Amino acid sequence: MSLEKKDEYDHKNWLESKDLTPVEATFLTALIWVDKRLRIVDYLELLESLYYRSNLQMPKSHTEQYDLDNKFWYWYALYTLGFFSTLAYVVAAISGALLGFYYVPAVGSAGPGEASIAYSQIAFIMRDLQFGFMLRSIHRWSAQVMTAAVFLHMLRVYFTGAYKEPRELNWLLGIVLISLTMVFGYSGYLLPWDQLAFWAGQIGVEMSLSIPLIGEWVAQLLFGGFSLSQATLQRMYILHVFLLPFVVTALIALHIGIVWVQGIAEPH
Amino acid sequence: MTDDTTNTDDEPRTDGGGTGIVAPDDETPTWRERKERTEGLSRLTYEYFERARSEDESLRRESDYVERDVLAFPTWPHETVRNLALTSFFVGMIIFLSATLPPHIGNPANPNSTPAIILPDWYLYWSFGLLKLGPLNPELAILGGQKLMADRTYGVLTNGVVVGAIAIVPFINKGSARRPVEQPFWAAVGMFGVTLAFTLSMLSVKNLMPMNVDLLFDLTFLVPPIVAAITYAVLKTMREGYMYDLNRRYYRLRPPK
Repeated sequence: MSLEKKDEYDHKNWLESKDLTPVEATFLTALIWVDKRLRIVDYLELLESLYYRSNLQMPKSHTEQYDLDNKFWYWYALYTLGFFSTLAYVVAAISGALLGFYYVPAVGSAGPGEASIAYSQIAFIMRDLQFGFMLRSIHRWSAQVMTAAVFLHMLRVYFTGAYKEPRELNWLLGIVLISLTMVFGYSGYLLPWDQLAFWAGQIGVEMSLSIPLIGEWVAQLLFGGFSLSQATLQRMYILHVFLLPFVVTALIALHIGIVWVQGIAEPH
Repeated sequence: MTDDTTNTDDEPRTDGGGTGIVAPDDETPTWRERKERTEGLSRLTYEYFERARSEDESLRRESDYVERDVLAFPTWPHETVRNLALTSFFVGMIIFLSATLPPHIGNPANPNSTPAIILPDWYLYWSFGLLKLGPLNPELAILGGQKLMADRTYGVLTNGVVVGAIAIVPFINKGSARRPVEQPFWAAVGMFGVTLAFTLSMLSVKNLMPMNVDLLFDLTFLVPPIVAAITYAVLKTMREGYMYDLNRRYYRLRPPK
């Protein structure tokens, strides 16, 4: 008995006997190497079963069984609003990541007698940066489209009764998501630090302050104080580019996952 | 040989034949079964899953749903290409919008000059409109005509009321009705909500509305019920013919037994 490890399955001999092309040999060697360490074969099996499951023969849906498509086809455009808002979210995320390379959340003056750094960075993006104007435009419009699509999606769900019995939780999750979308929009609205942003922020502070009991905490937490300052912009920035993206992305995934599990609520 | 075995099973012999171990009957749990029974919650969970799955399967077997005899549209390329086409169309729409209607940036922030018009983005107008409900804040006689809370607090709290009202809908309205015509009442409630959001948005930009502010305020709360009533009346009227058609179609496919 030796302490030397044995190739129990004799992969080496097997490989030689197969007379493989270099590409195949490299692939198999790499696969065996990784599999010996991570047992990926187990996960491949999982993937395989997932693959077959997704191609299962599903039972005919209600509309198919009763041949109702000719009665409902004009509603189906409304059923894509959820997808549309997700898509707009992805576009906003990509363009926002690019904008993030140039934006600086600072209210300090960019120079003597000049506007804030945040504002002048936006001005830089819009004036000097190649494609910057379009980039900001895309970001803004995808955000607008996402919000609009989310609102219309909610109306579709309401008027087609898709929120009913097994789907209450997803309706509640949708309410959370639509609220977070509006917070997303609001925090983004403040970032350019122009007049509208500043005074919208002022209203936000006043609104939080007028919440009974916890108003001052909320104002401190969201706006970093009772009046607008560097802290406000910083917090809105972190909300907009760090906190909300994680939370909203996770919740969207959950939202869609639940739809996947429960199936589309078809019209009857 | 066969006879012998049957004999052994039926009545244990006393002559020392066999091992002398009496096989447990069907009622007596084996040691393995006893062990499994005592494994508690995990065992219970497992059993429940087994049961639930078999229940699912028997339901599927009993149902008159028709299983497809061919696979549906293949994911690749048909479904993928269709989805990509839809996706590019939507992204194209966004890019078209951003190219034709570029955003505007206002003057830099100046804490010393309040602009005449302060507005959030359009999708917050309804919430902004709720802040202007001061006249509806009740004055209490016991407080000597004083208001219980500031107008601003009142406006902020109504936001919670709106969200709460939307949240409880699925817990009140149940059943399998999907079409607005099936439930004219709930469709009317929906139209009430949509119209209220719209009129509140109008109220929030009252400075810009070419209308008497008091009239606007009254209309904000008069229009939604009117729209709801019209919706109700129209759907109620439509329902007869609609349901007739639907039922006829349904019964033609599945005649009542």
